[in-house]
Amino acid sequence: MLLTADPAARPRLLGALTVLVVLWPLFQAAEVKPGALFDASNLKVIGNFLAAFLPPETGAGFLGHLAKATLETLAIASAGMLLAFLLAVPLGYLATAAGRERPTLNPVTRSLLTLLRGIPELVWALVFVRIFGLGPAAGVLALGLTYGGMLAKVYAEILESVDPAPANALRHSGAGRPLALLYGLVPLAAKELASYTVYRWECAIRASVVMGFVGAGGLGQLMDQAMKMLNGGEAASILLAFMALVFAADGLSQWLRRALDTPPADRPSPFGPRSALLALTLLAGTVASFRFLNIGFGELFTADAARSMGEFVAGFFPPDLSAEWLAKVGKGIWETLAISVVGTLLAAVAGLLLALPKPHAPFGFVLNALRSVPELVWATITALAVGLGPFAGALALALHTAGVLGRLYAEAFDNAPPAATRALRLAGAPAGVRFLYGTLPGATPQLIAYTLYRWEMNIRMAAILGFVGAGGLGQLLYFELSLFHYAQASTVIIAMLLLSIGVDQTSAWLRQRLR
Amino acid sequence: MSFSLDGVGLTHANGYTALADISLRADRGERIALIGPSGAGKTSLLSVIGTALAPTAGQGTVLDSALAGQAPRGQDLKRLRARIGTIHQAPPIPGRQRVVTAVLAGRLGQWPAWKSLASLLYPMDIPGARAALERVELADKLFCRCDQLSGGQLQRVGIARVLYQQPDLLLADEPVSALDPALAQATIRLLTADAEARGATLIASLHAVDLALGNFRRIVGVKAGRIAFDLPSERVTDALLHALYASEGEELPVQAHEPAYVTRQRAANDAATRAACC
Repeated sequence: MLLTADPAARPRLLGALTVLVVLWPLFQAAEVKPGALFDASNLKVIGNFLAAFLPPETGAGFLGHLAKATLETLAIASAGMLLAFLLAVPLGYLATAAGRERPTLNPVTRSLLTLLRGIPELVWALVFVRIFGLGPAAGVLALGLTYGGMLAKVYAEILESVDPAPANALRHSGAGRPLALLYGLVPLAAKELASYTVYRWECAIRASVVMGFVGAGGLGQLMDQAMKMLNGGEAASILLAFMALVFAADGLSQWLRRALDTPPADRPSPFGPRSALLALTLLAGTVASFRFLNIGFGELFTADAARSMGEFVAGFFPPDLSAEWLAKVGKGIWETLAISVVGTLLAAVAGLLLALPKPHAPFGFVLNALRSVPELVWATITALAVGLGPFAGALALALHTAGVLGRLYAEAFDNAPPAATRALRLAGAPAGVRFLYGTLPGATPQLIAYTLYRWEMNIRMAAILGFVGAGGLGQLLYFELSLFHYAQASTVIIAMLLLSIGVDQTSAWLRQRLR
Repeated sequence: MSFSLDGVGLTHANGYTALADISLRADRGERIALIGPSGAGKTSLLSVIGTALAPTAGQGTVLDSALAGQAPRGQDLKRLRARIGTIHQAPPIPGRQRVVTAVLAGRLGQWPAWKSLASLLYPMDIPGARAALERVELADKLFCRCDQLSGGQLQRVGIARVLYQQPDLLLADEPVSALDPALAQATIRLLTADAEARGATLIASLHAVDLALGNFRRIVGVKAGRIAFDLPSERVTDALLHALYASEGEELPVQAHEPAYVTRQRAANDAATRAACC
């Protein structure tokens, strides 16, 4: 039969309608009210606050604190990343379907990863602070666990996304699975694996900043004090220190990617002096981090610590499952979901607009500035701008995520195979059309994967934004924990976990459908 | 006996029947060309012999191991597979891998794990890899990265990998599809000579009929998932061939005779890639 109409038209229309029907109530729940941004009294408050940022605090005593806190943040992030990496490599290997002849998803590892990632690092940090006391140990452990889970999952997915033919061919000529992965998949995936790891390290820097808010040391603790005293000058200096850190990490990441791109020299060993230098730097960096933090890991695992941990954990059981409380948690779940969806969508639009123009340079600066400020800090500012509530949370998520997504989008466009675009250019297509026909189709699966993946992270972030009054589950958790209502807090943590599992499943399903 | 298939069928999960009632056997050291129109099932047949796909019907053995029923698993399967080498139509080599590593990967099934791991840090058998590459005239690319090679060069790297593997059973799936006629002829001769010298069995699917008839003594025609004929090359008539390729029009597929400027252009391209690399 000859088709005269486009058979894809109807499903597309239906899909668009479904999206609208699903999104409308979410926008309602997030209390999106753009008008509040331009409300005169709100503008005055935020204006006064921002005016206090100038000049940044530069007293010698404060700068000394700032330098120490910056180093501490860097050390927490690096030590946490090492822990995460050591966890992620074996877990990712077990969880990935790559290189398996019969695709299995290895449900046990997958659920362990979900458990690790599902509980936000800030909640882990809160728990570890209760067990191990104030200090960097709680931050390092919390980072190691959550980021271990995230890295493992992303490693697994990256390995599944590259062309499986080389690994399969090796398996068919008798190589075992680990070797087939190393020889067949890792060379293709190396660039993405490395850049994701470095990118996660940058995220770890921001996360360790945020964890300072619950007493895990570093820049966050300093920021918390500055914000509580509404000391704009100090806050500005601290923000500048964040940005400097993130920019430095970004530079390092770009250098690494370039190094991976350089063709090897004509010598037998694939590793030259530069690789040796890199390995040495990494080693020295991690050793220095652990020494600087001076974590007595021995003390963490004494009988005493185990007992207090046991008591603390026992307090969470049984969770409060009364109908009244469940209804309240249910409302929190809906609000959190709305914050995450609205925040991610706004971010995707803004990120795409910022990623498109060339040259990247000025927009790259905006993107870096946006993402170098953690969501939680954005939330304290947006709450001033539009008042406490879910919209402030959604805006804070959108601001930070726009920076992240914009950068990832720009990278995806740069990495898209150039052959298709070149062919179109030779056929005389104008630039915009070349982008739509040549670059975009190649990059779309990656754009969708990045956006959905960010949504999964944002659901966790949305769950804790409430810590600073942006509504949702976080507000409930923070409130109950500060009243030592562990049974109620436990219900909220379970709800966070279920929510993030639900979002992961939806996101995986969507990724599959939109591939 | 190198392999034998007895009434083998292959039906994919989506219900498509790729192979039906295939019976074929080869003695050790035999060299067989597989011809037939595209979509006839040549690749599926090679995949079944290479233990990549398990037959859904019938019985068979490869290098004295069963293909269905009591098929080897785990370590036994690895040992069996290490003795089977496959040349793929699209070389299954990651672009970012170096040529030397891609060639050495041929022996991952034979090497102990420590050696395979160490070889990622420093190639453990440079002379071996160089020797294999010399046979396909690519020794100068030893330390290049595979994404710097042209399609034809990459296909020859895939061939060098299998030469380095030294399998008892050599399966080649359109091994010269990306090579120009002269190089294709030379490469097929190289494969048959290698198989002959080591007493290995070679079965190659070829799209170009003249390459098959000129270099192989036994020709197997495949059509619509079944064996159409299995004859010595001198008894393969034009009528048989036209019947085999009826779906592809009047002309029999033979090696393209490209105008000279195309070959010159390719040589220039090769030179350009060589200049860009190493």
